[in-house]
Amino acid sequence: MAEKKTLSASGYQFEEIKKTNPVVRVITYIFLIIWALINIFPIYFMFTFSLKSNDEIFGENVIGLPKEWLWSNFTSAMNTGNMGLYFVNSLIVTIASIAISIFAALMATYALTRIKWRGSKLMNSFLMLGLTIPIQASIVPVYVILSKAHWLNHYSTLIVPYSAFTLSMSILISTGFMVDIPYDLDESARIDGCGLWKTFFAIILPLMKPALSTIGIYAYLQCWNEFMFANVFISDSAHRTLPVGIKALSGAYTTDWGPIGAALVIATFPTLIVYIFLSNKIQESFIAGAVKG
Amino acid sequence: MADNHSVKKKSDIAKGVTIFFFLLPALLLFISILIAPIIVSVYRSMYDWNGFSEGTFIGLENYRELFTSGSIKFMTSLKNAFILAFFSVFVQLPFSLFLALLLGRKVKGEKSFLSIYFMPVLISTVVIGQLWLKIYNPDYGILNRFLDAVNLGNLKHVWVGEVGTALGAIIVPTIWQYIGYHMLLMYAGVKGVSTDLREAAMLDGATKWQVDRYIVIPIIKPIIRVSVIFAVTGSLKTYDLVRILTEGGPFQSTEVPSTLLENMLFLRNRYGMGSTISVMLIALCFAFALLITAAFKDKEA
Amino acid sequence: MKMKRVVSTLLAGAMAFSLVACGGSAAPAAPAAEPAAEAPAATEEAPAAETAEEAPAAEASEGAITLDMWCIATESDSNRHSYEEAIKEMQTEFPDVTLNWEAFENQSYKTKIKAAVSADEMPDIFFTWSCAFLGDFVNAGKVYCLDDAYQNYKDELPEVMLGNTTYDGKHYGVPLTMNIVGLFANMDLLKEAGYDEIPGTYDEFIKCCDALKAKGIIPFGCAGKETWCVTEYLESVIEKSVGADALNDIFLGKATWNNPDVGAAVDTFQGLVNNGYFDPSGIGLTNDEVKANFMAGKYAFYMNGTWNCADFANNEEFFPKVKVGEFPVINADKAKLGQLIGGPSDTLAVAASSENAERAATYTFELGKRICHYGYLDGCGLPAWTPYGDTSGINALTQAVSDICANADSYVLFGDTAMSADDANTYLSYVDQVYGCQVDGTAFIEGLAKDIR
Repeated sequence: MAEKKTLSASGYQFEEIKKTNPVVRVITYIFLIIWALINIFPIYFMFTFSLKSNDEIFGENVIGLPKEWLWSNFTSAMNTGNMGLYFVNSLIVTIASIAISIFAALMATYALTRIKWRGSKLMNSFLMLGLTIPIQASIVPVYVILSKAHWLNHYSTLIVPYSAFTLSMSILISTGFMVDIPYDLDESARIDGCGLWKTFFAIILPLMKPALSTIGIYAYLQCWNEFMFANVFISDSAHRTLPVGIKALSGAYTTDWGPIGAALVIATFPTLIVYIFLSNKIQESFIAGAVKG
Repeated sequence: MADNHSVKKKSDIAKGVTIFFFLLPALLLFISILIAPIIVSVYRSMYDWNGFSEGTFIGLENYRELFTSGSIKFMTSLKNAFILAFFSVFVQLPFSLFLALLLGRKVKGEKSFLSIYFMPVLISTVVIGQLWLKIYNPDYGILNRFLDAVNLGNLKHVWVGEVGTALGAIIVPTIWQYIGYHMLLMYAGVKGVSTDLREAAMLDGATKWQVDRYIVIPIIKPIIRVSVIFAVTGSLKTYDLVRILTEGGPFQSTEVPSTLLENMLFLRNRYGMGSTISVMLIALCFAFALLITAAFKDKEA
Repeated sequence: MKMKRVVSTLLAGAMAFSLVACGGSAAPAAPAAEPAAEAPAATEEAPAAETAEEAPAAEASEGAITLDMWCIATESDSNRHSYEEAIKEMQTEFPDVTLNWEAFENQSYKTKIKAAVSADEMPDIFFTWSCAFLGDFVNAGKVYCLDDAYQNYKDELPEVMLGNTTYDGKHYGVPLTMNIVGLFANMDLLKEAGYDEIPGTYDEFIKCCDALKAKGIIPFGCAGKETWCVTEYLESVIEKSVGADALNDIFLGKATWNNPDVGAAVDTFQGLVNNGYFDPSGIGLTNDEVKANFMAGKYAFYMNGTWNCADFANNEEFFPKVKVGEFPVINADKAKLGQLIGGPSDTLAVAASSENAERAATYTFELGKRICHYGYLDGCGLPAWTPYGDTSGINALTQAVSDICANADSYVLFGDTAMSADDANTYLSYVDQVYGCQVDGTAFIEGLAKDIR
């Protein structure tokens, strides 16, 4: 079945390309390639920036390859800057936040889309309120709550607010996936004697697998680079995350930018590599659950 | 009959309890971390309070000052946010849509292009900001060097330092960075349009653009709506690139609500006024989200 | 509402006294009992002994404690080394006290410490800026009063140095280093324009700028994106026009901004801008960029805090070229040489909420003294404490700054530190507009008189 589909698709592709005017095609490709170069450039810039000295970064050699390849920037980011530890911290916080966010979102989405009840629409709008709240506004109130609960300087100090802030987006995305699951499945499950709980865990949850990478990537975007909460809520460097650690590389009146560049590479490249490896899966996931709004 | 009724009632209660438990984790997180602070902010917005001493209750005085005082620059910040929202909706989204439609036509290397176009979204704003600072640098920046090279030296500017160009200098990278984000959302929708539908239209003699215009775009309208909401609320909340590129300057001409908010809370020690700005910001974002939803409903109907 | 702040003017006489001492100590005549080659740790012991010996003895009976400290001496900050050395020494001096210290980036630290004060989550010891920044916390009753602990340190820390951290006659802060605004000059470029020294009078100075301009050299670099950099210039011009006392009274709210002399001084500054003495690109640059430009030989002068001495001294290529001087007097009727901008601002304070506040207070004085000592040796600034030990290894720039301070008449603290947070930001936004020539002197003084309560 799937094979047939691809066959017909490639036939369609063949036909289409034949029909296209070759001049238009070339122009299209030139355009696509130029745009691709523009989008790759920051990565090249970041990489070369991480290997330069302040002199080159400020003026002498802004975008060229480094004249002197200062790999020492990486050693100083790792050693004095402690990027290794902060990377692990960020990883723990981000993964846990994504996991909690996905779990809470899937449960909520199930209640909102697959159980019929009055007020589900209203509840959905209420939860979408989260998309509109600026993070700065909640720092102090959340900090006071956490401090009263003696809940500072743990990984969970960041994990809980992060999962809350990614929640609305996660619900929005999982709604797109969940409404696509045929409702017959619920029906037949109920006839088989499954309750709502069992239906959720045994039937719906496994079918939501394709949703994970889409939700994951959006949640990642919100957690990985978050600075405000991480700066205020975490005071011991053992639990510091990357954005705060990178910021701490700059001094009050002078900054050595090379190691900062190196730290940024350490913070970004692993993600990019993972993304490149998973990009096919991610794209499939996006297509499967195109947001239904 | 009565029996039946009570059974139904019982099952209703059971259903209610189930719904409650399914919503519980989300609601716990949501209310404690997102809703409680809003309530605190509303309360604090009615105080003249520096964040640590005893505050004084002043009613709606902060709101009055916010809209009437020239030195707070709230109106400037709103204007800037709206300009950004405008460009975001009318330049960024159409471009994203264009890319999504183009790639949706199965060009060779579609997947690779898609991955590459999404990359700026994954890169930290610090990098994007630093890169653009190098592009805009008045002495050795790429932009001014380019203008020199093509003999347009008189068009050179101190891009992030002049009132006339600073806002534009923020808008360009902000829009560029998130083109990929919206593109991927829309691309997913475009791919969801069944091939049969397209093929049928093509057989009827429609050109590819006509197929996109009359078949694909109407189908992905809900996605476009979500994108518009994200673009507008995102513009109202924009923060990072402004901090890196201009710090709200020159002469506070590029302040946006979030930078003002932060200044009030943590620089000027005016916690009450900061809370007022955040309440206004949340209200605005929510109002726009509703407005956009309503606008799309009209068209859809 | 606002509590009255004791004047932060550093009285001329006493100040000069304390700094004469520091100027002198560097001279060969200073009591160099210990061999100079020894590590500073060794030479340090003698003066610290009196207090250090009795303090730990008293504390030993109270058992071991842990103190938390937050500061902004991040890994790449020039103060980092002095903190590390000082803390290492404190570990041997106070074995009962375990210090957990964390460093945060400057700007984000402001957010962090304010949020911590709001939530009562302050560490035992925290870094703060003097005057208004600390004052808000003191007003809210969140800072521990250091009067008792100070009794043991009166001889080593002149009371005049506590002016900026004294509120209602009570001391709340331990000052570390102090800094002034210095006029840094690239002597290579000055030589090209025919000058071997930084001109001493304003007329000469302007002539020098014209000569530089004629040679195609930009006289000044100033980062317009960071308004505090503009104040380093503007405040010096105002002070050298209207005099230190007049400016200080305005900063402290004792006199109105609406002072025509100030307006005229602002116009003078704007004249410098309009004459093309400033790099026109400066409005779009950060201080890092401007400083890099100065070190690359793009500007003849760079006016900024004397904390830069350490960085300049560490750059072997640039160090021989640079000299530091004082901005010349513009109006000799009202101002004179020796009237400087600056003072002790970097401060350590103890939280009122600390469980061991009393011991933390003593510890903070001891620690502050050592940070000050090593900071001075590293060239990060001048000492707020009376220097001790061998200070002959100090770099020539810091030495020159210390000579300028030895002849100081009076100090006016940086305007944005002296004023309350809200006013300081209003002030900065006006300064920003002056630099961009959006307002002239009259509009500046009238606007500030209206907008600052």
